[in-house]
Amino acid sequence: MAIDEKLLRNIVEEVLKEMNLDNTIDSNKKEFIPEEISNMEIKEIGDVKKGTLPNEVVIGVAPAFGVHQTKTITGIPHYKVLREIIAGIEEEGLNYRIIRVYRSSDVAFVAHDSAKLSGSGIGIGIQSKGTTVIHQKDLFPLSNLELFPQAPLLDLETFREIGRNAAKYAKGESPNPVPVRNDQMARPKYQAIAALLHIKETQYVDGNKKPQELNVEFK
Amino acid sequence: MEIIAGVDIGNASTEVALARAYDGKVEFLSSNIVSTTGIKGTKQNINGLFKSITEALKKAGLTVEDLNKIGINEAAPVIGDVAMETITETIITESTMIGHNPSTPGGVGIGVGETIRIEKLSEIKDNKDYIVVIPPEVSFNLAAKIINFYQSKVNIRGAIVKNDDGVLINNRLDKKIPIVDEVELIDKVPIGMLSAVEVAEVGGTVEVLSNPYGIATVFNLNSDEAKQVVPIARALIGNRSAVVIKTPKGDVKERRIPAGCIEVISFKKKAKINVDEGAEMIMSAINSIDSIEDIKGEPGTNAGGMLEKVRQVMSNLTEQHPKAIKIQDLLAVDTFIPQKVKGGLANEFFLENAVGVAAMVKSDKLQMEMIAKELSTKIGVEVKVGGVEADMAIKGALTTPGTNKPLAILDMGAGSTDASVIDKNGEIKSIHLAGAGDMVTLLIKTELGLEDLELAEDIKRHPLAKVESLFHIRHEDGSVEFFEKPLKPEIFSKVVLLKKGGMIPIEENLSLEKIISVRRTSKEKVFVTNAIRALRKVSPTNNLRDIEFVVMVGGSALDFEIPQLITDALSHYNVVAGRANIRGIEGPRNAVATGLVLSMVEKDE
Repeated sequence: MAIDEKLLRNIVEEVLKEMNLDNTIDSNKKEFIPEEISNMEIKEIGDVKKGTLPNEVVIGVAPAFGVHQTKTITGIPHYKVLREIIAGIEEEGLNYRIIRVYRSSDVAFVAHDSAKLSGSGIGIGIQSKGTTVIHQKDLFPLSNLELFPQAPLLDLETFREIGRNAAKYAKGESPNPVPVRNDQMARPKYQAIAALLHIKETQYVDGNKKPQELNVEFK
Repeated sequence: MEIIAGVDIGNASTEVALARAYDGKVEFLSSNIVSTTGIKGTKQNINGLFKSITEALKKAGLTVEDLNKIGINEAAPVIGDVAMETITETIITESTMIGHNPSTPGGVGIGVGETIRIEKLSEIKDNKDYIVVIPPEVSFNLAAKIINFYQSKVNIRGAIVKNDDGVLINNRLDKKIPIVDEVELIDKVPIGMLSAVEVAEVGGTVEVLSNPYGIATVFNLNSDEAKQVVPIARALIGNRSAVVIKTPKGDVKERRIPAGCIEVISFKKKAKINVDEGAEMIMSAINSIDSIEDIKGEPGTNAGGMLEKVRQVMSNLTEQHPKAIKIQDLLAVDTFIPQKVKGGLANEFFLENAVGVAAMVKSDKLQMEMIAKELSTKIGVEVKVGGVEADMAIKGALTTPGTNKPLAILDMGAGSTDASVIDKNGEIKSIHLAGAGDMVTLLIKTELGLEDLELAEDIKRHPLAKVESLFHIRHEDGSVEFFEKPLKPEIFSKVVLLKKGGMIPIEENLSLEKIISVRRTSKEKVFVTNAIRALRKVSPTNNLRDIEFVVMVGGSALDFEIPQLITDALSHYNVVAGRANIRGIEGPRNAVATGLVLSMVEKDE
């Protein structure tokens, strides 16, 4: 802590100075204060052990997530996506583990594998392009608790709520499903690029590799 | 030999009993039940009636041509309607309190200090205590960093946050403070005012701010001021988190909305009662008058509007002038309506007091004659309007094995609760009272804040369970049921209604316990109250204890818990009450239809 103190002081003072520029923040303007994290570092720390504690949600990312691809289909950086999901889980008072599933790039299988490894039986699967699923271990892989198929319509707020709902399922509460927007034009507009991103993701599928536990550090 | 059909048109369902009569003997062939089409006693009933008869005939392997005679109940000429009026409202002035009870506040304990926006912390020079107000633009990470940084210079005692970030901020703090989050209108939080933030442990409730002397202690109030904070403390009882801000004139007021008077009129006397005095006072006024001629609401008030609406609906249905419609009975019930608080900073909902009323109107007997005539020309069968409904119900109820005269019956339908007593000599006395199944549905709908009347109706009718895993559910009595095949993912972790066709999830943020308690109390408020009221009126001595046996009939007697609730309540008066079993097979259904058939056969002899 001691080393960072000076740096931290600088950051805070800088931010505060910025805030003081327009004196009071106009909350009608949805202007976010410069995010203090700007990247994440992902380390693989070995095979995933099956969780035994019921207070965890496992977040499973697809093979290319955060490494070979770093943004969703609409350009939201992966570190922000992950941070919001984690925040949603943490706010509900639960723990999380992050794993990478190698055997498939299909979001259903990524999510289901995560759920099976999760102590609570609840898992979240995310593809690099942003498609997300909340899964439960006893369901069939192609079934799900909540599916967010239209990646272009997911924003950070939705990712926070996905994390929150997953945590609520793990607690045995009955959350209202996360509201999802629907846009007829999303499909024609993004179909080609979505296919492309999926193909890119699938390149990194390794059918022989077991899921790996990840250590993610936000910077 | 004749084939006879008895038809009972009720508020909610139309029932048919089909029988063959020969040599004064009756052999029941079949029975049937369909939903009543239109409001009881109107022409629209014929469609449902016709359908019910043909279905019953089909079950017995007969057609309309075989039918010799139809008997329709002299539709105990009552129709009911329900209405509701809010009588209190809560107003918060000067944003003096935040009591929305977010599901995940941060930290624990109580903090007192002056409110200050987080970006102004750098300007603080003095050594006072502060409560920071954090706008949505500041992320949890940044907020925590700033608080940690300033904690050494400024005494930060608590925080009020717009985003759902309470736990997140708390997890990143070096020194823990109570944090109330999800405050929607954060910009309206008064700045520079003394305030207190309290968060209780998980599963606990605030102790200081829900106690007037607690508030007096933290704000140093004198006894006069302590008196003024009582409504604030009361409003915060049961919350896990709360904020109270001391503003010059800030206050929480519970205002009674003037709802107007109800006037109960009989030949001999009149009674006038204010609706905002609550259901108990209204009921005692109504009970004090023996034979009510009409009930009127004060014109130009909510009470007047409420009763006039009922009158108007009835006049449209029966094609009579509104002035000719007389309200014969009224059941008032105290209830709660969740309503958004005026002046709240966090979209707080408080349960406001309300009064629900069910009114009952005498309709015209000619209506039934008209239905009979129309049906008769339609299918070419003799149709008779026979017997008072209550008499018929008793006749039908007496087919329950193990019953004998004297006997009292309670007929609990959708629109009205009827009671009748038959003594040893066959003398029958009966009464119709307002308030039954429909009233319960309305109470469930408003108290749970549901949009959908269908859902309220379903909650009334079906037991609940919680889906705990994809392979087991826990019933509302705590017992567990396992399944071989996984359940559908849509109902995972949900509170479900156990309907015959399967489990229906309740997509509302309501706990199992809350729904059960509202459902039970609604049923008690209507049916137990009315059972006692009705039986008292038909008892030869006006005393409940002089009735020995009560048989329950009608649609609401089919309910999975209403009969138990009534049996239990009546057992305190030494009254034996139980559910009828008409003809030994029909359960509490079909009493009137059966009675009609029996009386038609008797008359022919």
